[in-house]
Amino acid sequence: MSEIRLTVNGTKKAVNVDDDTPLVWVLRDSLSLTGTKFGCGVGFCGSCTILENGKAIRSCQVPASEANGRSFVTIEGLSRDASHPCQRAWLEEDVAQCGFCQPGMILTACSLLKDHPDPTDEEIDAALADAMCRCGTYPRIRKAIRRAVGTMKTKKK
Amino acid sequence: MITSRRAFLKTAALGGASLVIAFDNKRLLAAGKEATPQFKPNGWITVNADGTVTLTIGKSEMGQGVRTSLAMILADELDADWSHTNLVQASPGPDFIQLDTGAISSVASSWTMLRHAAAAARDMLISAGAARWKVDRATCSAANGEVIHSPSKRRLKYGALVADATKLPLPEDPPLKNSNDFRMIGKPTKCIDGREIVTGAARYGIDTKIPGMLYASIERAPWRGAVPRRSQDALALAVPSVRLVPCSLGIAVVADTTWAALKGRTALAVDWGDPPKDAFESAGHFKKLAQSAEQKGIITRKEDPPGGNSPTVRTIYATYFYPFYAHATLETMNCVADVRDDRCIIWAPTQAPNALQEEVARFLSMPPEKVEVNVTLMGGGFGRRLAVDYALEAAEISRIAKAPVQVLWTRADDMRFGHFQAASAHRLSAGLNSKDAVVSWRHTKAGSPHNLNPAELAKPREGLHQDLSRGAYDIPYVIPSIETQYVTVDLPVRHGPWRSSFAASSVFAREAFLDEVARIRGIDPFTLRLELLQGPDTVQIATLNVDRRRLRRVLEVVRDKSGWGGTTSEARQGRGLACNVYNGETHVACVVDVGVDDAGKVKVQRVVAAVDCGLVVNPTGVEEQVEGGILWGISSTLGSEITFVNGLAQQSSYADYKVALMRDTPTIEVHIVPSEEKQPYGMSEPPVPPVAPAIANAIFAATGKRIRRLPIRSEALTKA
Repeated sequence: MSEIRLTVNGTKKAVNVDDDTPLVWVLRDSLSLTGTKFGCGVGFCGSCTILENGKAIRSCQVPASEANGRSFVTIEGLSRDASHPCQRAWLEEDVAQCGFCQPGMILTACSLLKDHPDPTDEEIDAALADAMCRCGTYPRIRKAIRRAVGTMKTKKK
Repeated sequence: MITSRRAFLKTAALGGASLVIAFDNKRLLAAGKEATPQFKPNGWITVNADGTVTLTIGKSEMGQGVRTSLAMILADELDADWSHTNLVQASPGPDFIQLDTGAISSVASSWTMLRHAAAAARDMLISAGAARWKVDRATCSAANGEVIHSPSKRRLKYGALVADATKLPLPEDPPLKNSNDFRMIGKPTKCIDGREIVTGAARYGIDTKIPGMLYASIERAPWRGAVPRRSQDALALAVPSVRLVPCSLGIAVVADTTWAALKGRTALAVDWGDPPKDAFESAGHFKKLAQSAEQKGIITRKEDPPGGNSPTVRTIYATYFYPFYAHATLETMNCVADVRDDRCIIWAPTQAPNALQEEVARFLSMPPEKVEVNVTLMGGGFGRRLAVDYALEAAEISRIAKAPVQVLWTRADDMRFGHFQAASAHRLSAGLNSKDAVVSWRHTKAGSPHNLNPAELAKPREGLHQDLSRGAYDIPYVIPSIETQYVTVDLPVRHGPWRSSFAASSVFAREAFLDEVARIRGIDPFTLRLELLQGPDTVQIATLNVDRRRLRRVLEVVRDKSGWGGTTSEARQGRGLACNVYNGETHVACVVDVGVDDAGKVKVQRVVAAVDCGLVVNPTGVEEQVEGGILWGISSTLGSEITFVNGLAQQSSYADYKVALMRDTPTIEVHIVPSEEKQPYGMSEPPVPPVAPAIANAIFAATGKRIRRLPIRSEALTKA
């Protein structure tokens, strides 16, 4: 057991966990941030996606020891009132069915739009190359990403 | 949160703070009125003094949109304010029945009584308003959470009238709204839980956490009765907080955190020895299925023309195969149980709270009322969560560990120990007369009934074999001689309901074979279907009503919207068609465009679908279910199958069990065809069955290669 210090959603946290504890369980079990989901544990499905410096990472692939000193944003930190352009776009397009994968999808979209403010279809496909939705909400995810692009552009003007 | 009948009666006794009307399948009851022990509500509505309206009902949400649709029906009939309409998940009690959510029936089955209850509440509130103002009741109406007296333009919020309304008698036969007056029903409406989902606040089963809870990961025996030959107990126990709990199905590794349990389980490294000699293999099973489909089975439908059939001059034969599939829900199976000496509390993502309560109670030798079941949101269900295996595991381990326990399945557990969609083989033949008309049709399906409940298998119910051959026996086409049969093939692995259950395999075989018939005759597959849909407009097949007008209409819509009949000059491009009447209720047709590259990889480029699902409650929900059903169909056609070697499913992750991703997603157009039907029908399963055959038929158009076995392998389609 070691003390791990990390910043989550702008707040400094310290937790006592085994060094090899994947970050997803630190977030879920130790910090009760259950918006980050466990789906496969091996980085294939994208349910556990969080942001670091605006980039999507798989929290199941980061051991606690490596998370020490770093800063992350989870879905709870994007906004609590669904005001982030991606969250709003997700609501406008009514993307979610069961909703389980959507926190990961939304954060993956945020990361994509940081690198590619107006992504092509191929860039969307690539960003979501291993992000799984078993309900099949992909058509609406694509639309929501396009909608978020639109609102972010307007905001910048 | 009101979650039992006793709580319902208690609320009623709170002194008229709320207007509460409960309903079962037949009648209504206002709280505090003639409460009888016989009354077992399956839902109730509450109008509170603060103006909020709540529907408490036992329908589980797994992404099919039922919570939104039911709230819409309530808000519409009650004329409630949508922004103040809420849903509460009911828990089963011994006297709270019919909570199970399967086979797409939620909206359809709740439709009538929910409307009656809402209409009664509206009626009472209007009467209370009229009495308050001392005006003629006929001059009062309701809208958006208020009672309105039009002549004086006075308005009162429902909340202000609740106390008065509770003192009024329950109206005997409250008038229901005319469909022209619907305000919510039929209007595109967004998911009622959307905000919670996009902010990460939505709570699924896996998110349950209660004080003192331990975490368990179970190393399950791969074969029934297997015992560990070797295990590294000391290494497992070296992980802090880990303890080993032998249980019915294997060894539970129990710890203070999820990670310690998972780590302990890996360290345990159980060697389960050698598989039994007769362990199940899917390769052998397919041979057995193929042979069985040639045998005589139970006749599920037989029709011959009274005057004898015209002579058959040629007969076309083919055998089709449908594989094993997993549900692969994103949220793996999980359950929290807190078992004490005299009671048990369960938190479960389940489609079957009643069955869960009964089975856990039986397992713990407790009366059912001592088992409290809290139903959480589900990260996908698709039929998997109609089984209650994971709840029994949690109850057993909690009892032994004497603490609340969360059992969490890993992705590999979920893939290997699921209950699978069972494989089947289909032998079809079509006889043509001298004018090339289809005069006979034979379809023998060899498959396996669900084996989750052995008691059900021992005593086949009436109509079971029809259900098993759904999609085959209810073939909607007009053919003078039809005979369909079902051959039961023993299947030792666990198998059960899977989105669209028995229909998907039969419809794949039927609709692809019909395409073969069209090609052999040299006519357009659309023309052949329309030709076979002439004759009586409606037909009863066993207990199902098939309306050929509705089927023709959805076919015509996809023909017109897809540009069917246009020719493509591009190589290895093709267009395919399929249709189906699901359960005699929802009529679906789709046209699929595919491209096949030289390496044989198939890309579904566009799907145009049309559906007639009766009265549409939420068009947005219908569109989403069609989109999702199409992706489900693409996964099963172009993704992975489950195979068994040595009694074990060989797939254990999303790497070897592939499902559709963003890049596999076509352009999708959904057309909801206006229906004259007065009631809604299910929508989560019906879009699935026509997708696979439409893709297979499009591949034939693109490559000339006939697909008779799923999933489709690119090796079979490489350019010669």
